[in-house]
Amino acid sequence: MSGQRVDAKVVMLGKEYVGKTSLVERYVHNRFLVGPYQNTIGAAFVAKVMSVAGRTVTLGIWDTAGSERYEAMSRIYYRGAKAAIVCYDLTDSSSFQQENLWVHELQNFEEHCRIYLCGTKSDLLDEDRRKRGVDFHDVQDYADEIKAELFETSSKTGQNVDELFQKVAEDYVHFTAFQVMTEEKGVDLSQKSGTYFYSCCHH
Amino acid sequence: MSLKSERRGIHVDQSELLCKKGCGYYGNPAWQGFCSKCWREEYHKARQKQIQEDWELAERLQREEEEAYASSQGTQGAQSLTFSKFEEKKTNEKSRKVTTVKKFFGASSRAGTKKEVQEAKAPSPSIHRQASIETDRVSKEFIEFLKTYHKPGQEIYKQCKIFLDAMHHKRELSIEEQSECAQDFYQNVAEKLQIRWKVSPEKLEKAMDQIEKYIMTRLYKYVFCPETTEDEKKDLAVQKRIRALHWVTPQMLCVPVNEDIPEVSDMVVKAITDIIEMDSKRVPHDKLACITKCSNHIFNAIKITRNEPASADDFLQTLIYIVLKGNPPRLQSNIQYITRFCNPSRLMSGEDGYYFTNLCCAVAFIEKLDAQSLNLSNEDFDRYMSGQTSPKKQEPESWSPDVCIGVKQMYKNLDLLSQLNERQEIIVSEAKKLERDLIDWTDGIAKEVQDIVEKYPLEIKPKNPPLAAIDSENVENDRLPPPLQPQVYAG
Repeated sequence: MSGQRVDAKVVMLGKEYVGKTSLVERYVHNRFLVGPYQNTIGAAFVAKVMSVAGRTVTLGIWDTAGSERYEAMSRIYYRGAKAAIVCYDLTDSSSFQQENLWVHELQNFEEHCRIYLCGTKSDLLDEDRRKRGVDFHDVQDYADEIKAELFETSSKTGQNVDELFQKVAEDYVHFTAFQVMTEEKGVDLSQKSGTYFYSCCHH
Repeated sequence: MSLKSERRGIHVDQSELLCKKGCGYYGNPAWQGFCSKCWREEYHKARQKQIQEDWELAERLQREEEEAYASSQGTQGAQSLTFSKFEEKKTNEKSRKVTTVKKFFGASSRAGTKKEVQEAKAPSPSIHRQASIETDRVSKEFIEFLKTYHKPGQEIYKQCKIFLDAMHHKRELSIEEQSECAQDFYQNVAEKLQIRWKVSPEKLEKAMDQIEKYIMTRLYKYVFCPETTEDEKKDLAVQKRIRALHWVTPQMLCVPVNEDIPEVSDMVVKAITDIIEMDSKRVPHDKLACITKCSNHIFNAIKITRNEPASADDFLQTLIYIVLKGNPPRLQSNIQYITRFCNPSRLMSGEDGYYFTNLCCAVAFIEKLDAQSLNLSNEDFDRYMSGQTSPKKQEPESWSPDVCIGVKQMYKNLDLLSQLNERQEIIVSEAKKLERDLIDWTDGIAKEVQDIVEKYPLEIKPKNPPLAAIDSENVENDRLPPPLQPQVYAG
């Protein structure tokens, strides 16, 4: 059994066909292939070991089902996630409208989860500027508003892909280090069980 | 979220100190603010009511199940069965038996409440002995394992013992509280190992697995699908739901797996076996391993069919299909048990956790499944659900001999039979020819013999006069002296 230790759970959110799987494939296997892939077992879960400031961090990257029929289930997926990469297609404005919903849910239910907005398929814009369906500045404003990072990536060329995940890892290290420092003050005895439990199927 | 922020304790407020019934004794939040005596009374009342309700529900479920089964059998009988349907019915029948037995067991155990509670405290020696074989084996392994940890090992063992003793006295508590205790224990031990003993993360992980194995083998029979929860009711509901959805085809779910490829159908069967096997394991970790094994088979099946890496959508769709096809026993109980008693670090982020989450999603999807999620109209969906008609019946033209393994096999066998028939005919004609040849041959020989006999007729000549005796001509014989006689000389 591949019981690899994982430090942080990173969940990929986004509509169907925005390219979540390709993004992970690009990052982990450094490839983007059109047409049939050879000799790969597709894994919707990948553990990637990274090094940040002399520390080793293992990111567990969770690909999630983006199809509309599974929309109601997305909360089960991002429970306990340390970071969420919310993907949208730069050429498809409808894919961005969905963002708001996820961001809203994440903010409500996973306060420890950092949010990264990721516009995909930027190579298509390089070919033709007019294809852009989502304005960069609008998204940047939105990102600032929700305190999220924004990346525009291309899984085809690899543009910004490594940067995105590197940033996720760095933030994780920085964030947890910061948390350990501030947490020495004691333990709240009255705190009841809550977020801690993995109680996704109680309902 | 660091581990520390989640440490919990029992908080006792001043107002909560006395029993809520006002009997003057001290109350306890674990008993919802009652003193032990009042709590027992309250609890007993609530329990009796619950038992009655559960009983009725179980009976109703069984009745409905039987009706649904009878009606589905009726409609199924009318149409020609595909092999997969046949298989499905077989598994249905099998699992039916299991639930019925379980239900009887459940009902009876509920009926004898008081006795049961006492028995649970002091299990009969034979049951105890049987279960203790495995427990002993696990204990031995655990102790062996801890030896490699030297001093921390001893400490771990002591902690586990204390924890198990404590849990023994907490059996009356709700399952959520017991789960909380277990989670706190995992957390405390992990922290202690990390901070006090400076154990490396890899070693810590291993130790945590072993600790979980050790304590959960011992706790399993008390905390898996406990009577105080609705787990069993949920199990039956899911099982019934899956059975009612027997008509769902892979096409409706958009499953990216082609079962006509023998390798793929092999993988599907293996995945189903793994997910069913999960129920037989006692340790949460082992149950997770079954789910992971099942998932790997699913990925292989997708890979063979599609020749490209599977996305989360592909995987989830196939997993839903596998769950629908396999109808694993006690699905909800298992999920709840894992959720409550698995080491949280494994469940929250690791690979096992990912597959487990997908299983939870699959079950949630099945529970909420409606016409829209299968791209069907509401009318069609209702009709299929009520068993009035089945999607396959509507479109018989989509039937091709390739649809089902059974039909394919039948065609193959028919081919084989006709070949055999041909060969037999050849053999028969050859045999007849041989017979004719043999007859001809005997006739030929007889004729030849006849010819020869005719050609050389047998002539019998008169017999020659008999020859005189050889020595008859020796006339002089009389004259020969008599032969010598032995003589005896005196002296």
